[in-house]
Amino acid sequence: MNPTAQNAIALCRGDNGLLADWIGAARSGSVRCCLLLIALGCGAYGFTVGLRNGWEMGAYVAVKLPLILIITLLLNGLLNGLLGLVLGSGIGFRKSVQFLLTGFAIMAVILGALSPIGFFATLNMPSSGDGSGRFAWHGASLLMHTGLIAFAGITAHARLLHYVREFADSSRAGTHAFFAWLAGNLFVGAQVSWNLRPFFVSPGLEVEFLRNDPFNGNFYEAVIVALKNVSQI
Amino acid sequence: MNENKQDSTRETVGSVKANIPPSISDAESGFVPMEGDASFSNLLSKLLRKPLSIFHELETKEALWRIPITLILISVVSLTVFGLVVGTFSWGAQIWAAPLKIVSGLMFSALICLPSLYIFTCIGGLEARFSTVVGMLCSIVALSGLLLVGFAPVVWLFSVSSTSAVFIGFMLLALWGICVGFGFTLVFRAGKAMGMTNTGHLLVWCLIFLLVTVQMTTTLRPIVGESDALFNFEEKKFFLQYWSEELQRATD
Repeated sequence: MNPTAQNAIALCRGDNGLLADWIGAARSGSVRCCLLLIALGCGAYGFTVGLRNGWEMGAYVAVKLPLILIITLLLNGLLNGLLGLVLGSGIGFRKSVQFLLTGFAIMAVILGALSPIGFFATLNMPSSGDGSGRFAWHGASLLMHTGLIAFAGITAHARLLHYVREFADSSRAGTHAFFAWLAGNLFVGAQVSWNLRPFFVSPGLEVEFLRNDPFNGNFYEAVIVALKNVSQI
Repeated sequence: MNENKQDSTRETVGSVKANIPPSISDAESGFVPMEGDASFSNLLSKLLRKPLSIFHELETKEALWRIPITLILISVVSLTVFGLVVGTFSWGAQIWAAPLKIVSGLMFSALICLPSLYIFTCIGGLEARFSTVVGMLCSIVALSGLLLVGFAPVVWLFSVSSTSAVFIGFMLLALWGICVGFGFTLVFRAGKAMGMTNTGHLLVWCLIFLLVTVQMTTTLRPIVGESDALFNFEEKKFFLQYWSEELQRATD
């Protein structure tokens, strides 16, 4: 079997030896392996997300979904390392990057495994151009993919928590560091996904790689505006 | 003569303390002798990995003003970097005014809170030197500054994406709260490791310090967003009033 595929299976099974080698830098190419898994798994799933709006959008989302994870990791890399040390886990910069890359790689493997299901579901949905019930199908697609991505994320992070607690100086410090990383990644990841929109393309809007104004406004302001609108109903 | 006697006693105690190996509880808490010298890189590393060893060094060695000075240097460098990133929200004059205001505001806040920290730690039963207390305060600011540098890429992302100065302002306040929280935790750990019996007074001091730093952001406004004047000392406002007015203006 291909070494990358072997590593993917070992990660899903929770092979501590593999991660110990990666963390201890005893085995080279771990970063490359994780990046490859993220590109393949998230890329494949991203393609099925965008496919409902045509092959072009499918290709765009296949590129953008892995980019969200990598940009989030780059922006939070320094902070995650600092938090790992300050919280007493003994996990510094390099190790925190390796842990989070591993977590994202597990998530990508799960998403990659779910991508045939996503593909099948997309093929069974009317295309976004169809007039009747297009908003309902857009909502159904949005809910299904969000649910599957959330499932993959939660499963991967549950496995990552197990790893971090085992490798940290103390189990308690490892748990604290893990949840601090998680909070930071969720906070920044939401904003990065906002900057890289569109993914699902709301009915009536054009297919494009990025919106004309990707840096105009932020995710949290949009949530506040949405809440204000809801409160006026 | 009496003073000389006290000095010599302290010297003896200091040298004895420095030579005896740390107890098991001290070793567990990390209150152990610091490895390496008081260089910038070593102190930076120790601040993150073994912060209590810095206080052990301050408490047991003589004439170690180099540690607080290096901690201040770490704070200034970190806060300047963070301030530059904050300044990118508005550019213009804010690119140099924001770091200047953040560094000077925080240093001034620390300075005016130093006497109360010393008195409150004494009331709490801590028998520490003044230089150790100075080191505690410097380590709060240095650790907060380092963590703020960690948040700098996040702040940059929001500063280029967001158009709302109020959103950025509240986010920066929240980040400051998180970072200074780590600094406070460190001081509590140090206090306990050095024999503080009552931490209630230190908690009160932490609230005062937080209040002073947040009020400083209002005094030195605007730190985020554009303004005709660099400072606005004439119009005096409490920070709660200022931020509620800004929030009201943004949501109208």
